[in-house]
Amino acid sequence: MPEPLAVLDSASKSFGGVHAVVELSLSVPGGEIYGLLGPNGAGKTTALRMLAGLLAPTTGRALLAGCDAKTTQAKKHLGYLSGSTGLFGRLTPAEVLDYFGQIHGLSRDAIRARLLSLAPALALDEILDRRCEALSTGERQRVSIARAVLHDPSVLVLDEPTSGLDVLASRFLRDFVRAERGRGKAVVFSTHYLAEAELLCDRIGFLHQGRLLSQGSPSDIRGAAGSLEEAFLALADRGGGKS
Amino acid sequence: MNPKHVALTFGKELREALRDRRTLAIMILLPLVVYPLLAMLAAQVATGREKQREERASSVAVTGEGPARASLLAQIEKNSTLFVLVANGTSADVENGRLDALVEFDPAAPAKLTVVYDASRDESRIAEERLAEVTAKALPDGCAPTFSMQRHSLAPKARMGGYLLSKALPLFVVLMVLLGAFYPAIDVTAGERERGTLETVLCSPIHRFDLMLGKVLAVATLAALTGALNLGSMAVTLLQILRLSSQTIVLDVPWGHALQSSLVILPAALLFAAAFVALGATARTFKEAQTLLLPVYFLTIAPAMAGAVGDYRLAGIAAWIPGMNVTLLARDLLVGRATWSGGLAAIASTLLLSTAALAAAARIYDSERLVVPAPRRQSASAAVAHATSAFDALVLFSLAFLLLYFVFLPIEQHHLAAGLLAAEWLGLFGLVLLYARMSGQRFANVVGFSRPAPLTLLGAALVGCSAWAAVALASEWLAPVPKHLLEELRKSIVPLDGSRGFAATLGLMALSPAICEETLFRGPILRGLRTRMDPSLAAVITGVLFGLFHLDVYRIFPATVLGTLLGFIAIETGSILPSMLAHLCNNAILIALAYGGLDQRMENLSHRATTLIMIASVAGMTAGFALLRKARQKSEV
Repeated sequence: MPEPLAVLDSASKSFGGVHAVVELSLSVPGGEIYGLLGPNGAGKTTALRMLAGLLAPTTGRALLAGCDAKTTQAKKHLGYLSGSTGLFGRLTPAEVLDYFGQIHGLSRDAIRARLLSLAPALALDEILDRRCEALSTGERQRVSIARAVLHDPSVLVLDEPTSGLDVLASRFLRDFVRAERGRGKAVVFSTHYLAEAELLCDRIGFLHQGRLLSQGSPSDIRGAAGSLEEAFLALADRGGGKS
Repeated sequence: MNPKHVALTFGKELREALRDRRTLAIMILLPLVVYPLLAMLAAQVATGREKQREERASSVAVTGEGPARASLLAQIEKNSTLFVLVANGTSADVENGRLDALVEFDPAAPAKLTVVYDASRDESRIAEERLAEVTAKALPDGCAPTFSMQRHSLAPKARMGGYLLSKALPLFVVLMVLLGAFYPAIDVTAGERERGTLETVLCSPIHRFDLMLGKVLAVATLAALTGALNLGSMAVTLLQILRLSSQTIVLDVPWGHALQSSLVILPAALLFAAAFVALGATARTFKEAQTLLLPVYFLTIAPAMAGAVGDYRLAGIAAWIPGMNVTLLARDLLVGRATWSGGLAAIASTLLLSTAALAAAARIYDSERLVVPAPRRQSASAAVAHATSAFDALVLFSLAFLLLYFVFLPIEQHHLAAGLLAAEWLGLFGLVLLYARMSGQRFANVVGFSRPAPLTLLGAALVGCSAWAAVALASEWLAPVPKHLLEELRKSIVPLDGSRGFAATLGLMALSPAICEETLFRGPILRGLRTRMDPSLAAVITGVLFGLFHLDVYRIFPATVLGTLLGFIAIETGSILPSMLAHLCNNAILIALAYGGLDQRMENLSHRATTLIMIASVAGMTAGFALLRKARQKSEV
């Protein structure tokens, strides 16, 4: 089995007295798409933020490419896409990409070369010199993806990447994620769209009230229940009451 | 540190800020368009009015009989462009504006001549000046003064101009730099968080210190630009005004000194940028950052203003007070009296404070705290849900300050004991009690009242019994209290008439402040600030507020240090009682020293004795805090 690139090892996270994630373990090797599913408030974002090094687990570990996710070394391997498509509104996509590219240690020439290879897939050509605040949601998402993969990271952590996107943009994103898997990347993403997870993921994990109820391939989890939705409801009933 | 990351962040932030309309408006529109326009219009109107007044003939009347009447009337008629002679008039006419001035001869005293005019009216004042001139010419021979006194100032015109400018320019510089730092600092911190770009940045392989240094440098650059543009614009406007009114205003501007003086923009910009960025980093939203920064903005103006109008020297504690140090340095440079020691002290302290603020900003700007959603407030009916916030803490401090200044201080001036008791028990303790009731919280929860371990009390008492010496000696070194003020303080503690005994003074000045001041400062203020920042920073800020609350420039430093130590005790123990005990010990010892006359003897101690006392004091505090830590570790086990 290939070396896991993204690992949560019995990771728990509490805020005051609230347990957002409880002893979550998952490991994602290169060339795999792992989907973290669950309703709102299940702890998906907290789990991904631990992986992205934004939050330190209260107990347990979060590792990226073998390094503690909080370290700068780990962040060099990370491509993170948050739910809010964090772009600097007053800058142009070209400027945003130049800033993050250089922070990741890329030269101006390397950034230009990488953009040339990404531009056709992400359709960036026409929007590179417009201010980010003037872009549509789909266009912003494309720039955000470019920003996340600019330095060619080995791990992609995507927090609800298709939220708010139209059908075409969602499809485009799924195709892009598949292509990245094909290039040997480990992809961890969260969604509450079960159908999307079924279409895209090699493995999925059901998170409910901070606990991982089950994980496996979509077909394994679907099992006798017939659909992922039914399987999830059954698991939620057993694991912690109705969602 | 990675200089490339710092430079990249600096460039990115600067580019963003320069594309922000609000920043541009404050930085460019105000200084380059609005100020000059308003100043020029005001100057033109004022000059126009002045000319009109000068061209207008003054209406005057002469009443009564006297030896010089005829010659005076002749002089008035001779200067027909300056005067319109009215046949009759009274003082009431001058008062009503029908007449500009009236000359009265008194028949009973022929040598006496009275000019009646209205000093509050420009036209009347001009008439009086004109009459003074013609009257001197009209006086009979032998009536002219036999001697005249002439003033001769050694100050050259340029130095005089520098002196006049030194009263306004340094304060103006500080105000403009503060204004220039205000919005950019919020924009690069709370603004970033509000726009959702924070997570993206914190996921990148950039160290927080590099990130914050880039941000602080960008804000400092914008603040310095705002200051420089404002100064430049003011200089051009001043030149225009001088040109317009070259007849009436004689002011020689020392441009070389003014240019040197403007260099303080750089350290001022760095300091305010670092401080504002550190504060902005604690806020969750733009609005919250504004609420946090506004009091600091005004708090900084106060020492800057004191530096501008007061006669302080740039030395000792004055070199360490943010705002005041740069104002004093700008003043000294402007009048050509700056010294190397003063300049270096101001620059070094500013750099040190900026570095501390930058380190605090880097520590605060932690993803762990910033990306976690704010705890939701429940409805007012859910009493347990409400907890003291940083905003509540600042409101409580402001209310306590207003009550003290406007209500209790005047009472203290009439009756010290009654005023002190009212200020402590109504203005502080009562205020917290009222706050607890109105916010639906238990009083014990608001102030952090819990039973401490005996070891904790011992540690707190040790700190309280030791701190006074180090604090007093350090204050004496930094900002020695003038003798007369020290004597006044002594008299307030030990009344000369013996009207208050030792026990009563202990109750009034040790026990009462220990309970009431701790209830407010180490209670809701410290607890509220802790919700927004690192506990150490909250303790320091609470200490500063505690120092300011004493409303005495010489007590700010000792009270700030004591307040900070008490804050650390409250944080370490998680209870208000140990800090009350330490406060009580500190005040009780100072009172005992005053009653025993030992404080006067301490003023004449040898260097060796002072050093020994200092060492003993620091050792006592260290042992006290070690006990507090041990008690905490014990309780955790």
